Amino acid sequence: MQTFANPTRFLKLSDRLLPWAGALTLIAFAGGLYLALVEAPQDYQQGETVRIMFVHVPAAWLALLVYSFMALAHSTAIVLRHPLADVAAKAAAPLGASFAFLALATGSLWGKPMWGTWWQWGDARLTSMFVLFLLYLGYLATWEAISDPMRGARIAAIVAIVGFINVPIVKFSVDWWSTLHQPASVLRLGGPTIHSSLLLPLMAMAVAYGMLFIWLWLIGMKAEILKRRVRHMQIAAAGKA
Amino acid sequence: MDLHAPNVGFVVAAYGISAVVLIGLAIKTIVFLKTQERQLTGLEERQARRRGSVHER
Amino acid sequence: MKTAAALMKRDLAVAFRQGSSLGTAVGFFLTVVVLLPIGLGPDQALLARIAPGALWIALLMSVLLSADRIFSDDFEDGSLELLTMGRVPFEAVILIKATVHWIAAGLPLAVIAPCLGFLINISPQQVVPLAAAMIVGSLGISLLATLGAAVTVGLRRGGVLVAVLILPLYVPFLVFGVAASSNLVPGAASAALMALAALSLAALVMVPIAAAAALRSHMR
Repeated sequence: MQTFANPTRFLKLSDRLLPWAGALTLIAFAGGLYLALVEAPQDYQQGETVRIMFVHVPAAWLALLVYSFMALAHSTAIVLRHPLADVAAKAAAPLGASFAFLALATGSLWGKPMWGTWWQWGDARLTSMFVLFLLYLGYLATWEAISDPMRGARIAAIVAIVGFINVPIVKFSVDWWSTLHQPASVLRLGGPTIHSSLLLPLMAMAVAYGMLFIWLWLIGMKAEILKRRVRHMQIAAAGKA
Repeated sequence: MDLHAPNVGFVVAAYGISAVVLIGLAIKTIVFLKTQERQLTGLEERQARRRGSVHER
Repeated sequence: MKTAAALMKRDLAVAFRQGSSLGTAVGFFLTVVVLLPIGLGPDQALLARIAPGALWIALLMSVLLSADRIFSDDFEDGSLELLTMGRVPFEAVILIKATVHWIAAGLPLAVIAPCLGFLINISPQQVVPLAAAMIVGSLGISLLATLGAAVTVGLRRGGVLVAVLILPLYVPFLVFGVAASSNLVPGAASAALMALAALSLAALVMVPIAAAAALRSHMR
């Protein structure tokens, strides 16, 4: 990781990786979508709507993974004083927020035909995903609100880390509450178990979403690093003027 | 996929919104990079021009 | 120690003399409690069912809204910076300020709220458990409000940011807080009360550290 501390070296590495990441993303999506929409069979209970799982679950997984990545990156920035770690989190945030939004939107579209409602506050996973989405928005707003990047990084770090601790707490508390209210029913988003014929398309789409994140994150990192350079040059130019 | 099954509309909507958001995200990210690259080359040119004019004296 | 006590006394005096924290908090609280029956209609059974949740939400909002003054005065006149360099550790300073906010706003509301529950037809056997839960939880709530104030001090559009940052942190307090006064499942209420205590204690440890870090970055 110390090699990546140098922005120039990181840029050289990312420039080499970018075309591969882009190509792999497209291939993964091509394969995943084929499996999801053509190969995968209808579910005997849910019919065609089970296919929504292939865009919902990967989005949810990535929303959670990306936030964990952000909390880890900021912790690294604080503990190891790695200069690019804050930026890594900043570049990841819009991606994670989009995944969280998609998890909520596709979940809602899945829920309506399956349970009859667009939303259900009593479900722990829905509520904690909503909380996660709010945290993403708060995180992004923090970077927007603070003009100095150094200060913004510290405050954003607090939002990321405190939020990261909160998400499992929310999930646990709502879970506990809903089991009190509905002792008999078990609301599970994928049905009791995922059938093996559905597992392969799910994994393929998960890989595709993951590759998309890596690809767009590399682009975002490059953009953030260049943006810093631009800012430095503008400040230097203003100084000489 | 059986396009005449019940509730297919939900499936289309789910994939549709996923495509819109993810493609939009990709476009936004790439545009962000292009903007920074353009700004950087602009500033570098201006700097080179300024240095050039100093040497001409 | 003496410096810390002096700081606490001063802040308490300011809070109670100006009355702003408690005044804002109570004012907001009353607004919610009075408007709810008007908005929801006279269905007494409905009001009774939502009373614990509604009171908790009013408590959360009131404490959060009255918190923005905690640091702003000292931040603007520079005394906050002096406090970072004083003998009392800055984290302890924050703890003192949070405690003052609790004593001045959170705790009084936690005591008053269940009593005002009669305005929304709360069932009498819920009052005491609700009061206990609110007293225990209000410490954590005040601490989180302090964190919100610390993160957004001096920011222009801080209000929205505070809400988006702190509301997610309030969800567990709300869930366990309402559960602590319910009688759905025997034993659930006391389990919820203990969870609230654990949450407040966790906030007691985490908030001073996080808030200190936030304030230090604001003043760099």
